[in-house]
Amino acid sequence: MLTKDFIGKVAGATGMSKKKVEGLLTTCNAILRENLMAGKTVQLQGLGSLEVKEKKERVVVLPHSGERKVVPSKNQLVFKPVANMKDELKKI
Amino acid sequence: MADNKLSWTELRRALAHRAGVNEKEANAFLNALNAQLVDALKQDKQVKINGLGMFKLQAVAPRKSVNVTTGEQITIDGYNKIAFVPEAGVKELIESASTQTNDYMKKAKKQAVDPIQKLGEQADEIKDILGDLGQNPAAPVAEVPAVEEAAPAVEAPAAEVPAAEVPVAEPAPVYTPAPEPVYIPEPAPADEPAPAPKKKESHFMRDTLICFIILILLALVGYFFLREQIGGWIDSLIHEPEVEVVVEEPEAEPEVVIEEWSYDELLRTEKIPEGSRLAWISKKYYGSKAYWPYLYEANKDHISNPSLIKVGTPIRVPKLNEAQKDTTTVTFQKIRERAYEAMR
Repeated sequence: MLTKDFIGKVAGATGMSKKKVEGLLTTCNAILRENLMAGKTVQLQGLGSLEVKEKKERVVVLPHSGERKVVPSKNQLVFKPVANMKDELKKI
Repeated sequence: MADNKLSWTELRRALAHRAGVNEKEANAFLNALNAQLVDALKQDKQVKINGLGMFKLQAVAPRKSVNVTTGEQITIDGYNKIAFVPEAGVKELIESASTQTNDYMKKAKKQAVDPIQKLGEQADEIKDILGDLGQNPAAPVAEVPAVEEAAPAVEAPAAEVPAAEVPVAEPAPVYTPAPEPVYIPEPAPADEPAPAPKKKESHFMRDTLICFIILILLALVGYFFLREQIGGWIDSLIHEPEVEVVVEEPEAEPEVVIEEWSYDELLRTEKIPEGSRLAWISKKYYGSKAYWPYLYEANKDHISNPSLIKVGTPIRVPKLNEAQKDTTTVTFQKIRERAYEAMR
């Protein structure tokens, strides 16, 4: 499902206009990004949490040359679903 | 941790504030968002949200396993897993944020690693302060010779010299800021004509004094040493018959005493190992370091100085009886005196 369809779905559920929902979604995402950038964990009630996790630097061996390389550490955006949602979606 | 989280309420408030809607509306929107997200996932197995990423349902295939307790073969049912893939732009953003944090960490590390730099800065500060101070103390110092030599003209150049000298000293001491305070104040007095020779003079005076004292001591020792020999010799020139008696008497006495002490049994002969000494051998065989003079006495024939024995010198270790172990006896004290004398 694409964003457009999702917005339509949310608009239908709340009774708001699609435009308003789109605006709200954009703002919401902006807020989420800002907070994530600041290193905060965002909790989405009934859904899960979005978190920035640091992946540590590690040594890899290139299979074709046998060369060893250090992969620098980086941050990753991780979504951790709430147990409820997890269970609900396990079986459809 | 509370500071590190954006709670649901906070998100709602922020959204309401930003989008210009009331909190109720924002709340309704967010609730609908979550509910519809789950719904949409059920429906389409994936939901794309622009500006954030894509939520996906990933099927995990059923797999076979073994019941650990019974060894029975079982099948673990397949299920769906929720996966989130951040949008490319968001991913980059987060990673750039990571580089920011990395930079931050690097900075922190640098601060920890580079005390030298900090010290260098501190050194500069100290130098500045000393440079300022250098002009002030220079004045009173310069006044002292002015009183002595009546040459007030010296004052002005003297005050200027340290200020000029300080920057010259600056580049070198970056690594070692500690010695600086020692170095910097020096040029001030060093450039003064009067105090410099004074300092040298004091050193010279001290050295000569020490030399002088040593010379006097040597002379005294020599005098007393020679007096006994030459004095005796001169005396012998004056009245020969009497002197012979005088000379013989002190020599005879200790000889008799030493002949008194002789060992009957030899415990063993030990070659002196490297780093050892008589006292240690004494401790090894007699249980106390105190009996080392006996060892010297027994090996006097090939040891001249008991504190300077060549490695490998054979040391005869005599057996001591209980009477000999008494260190208060006159015999032992004489032996010890002789051993100490040999050391000198």
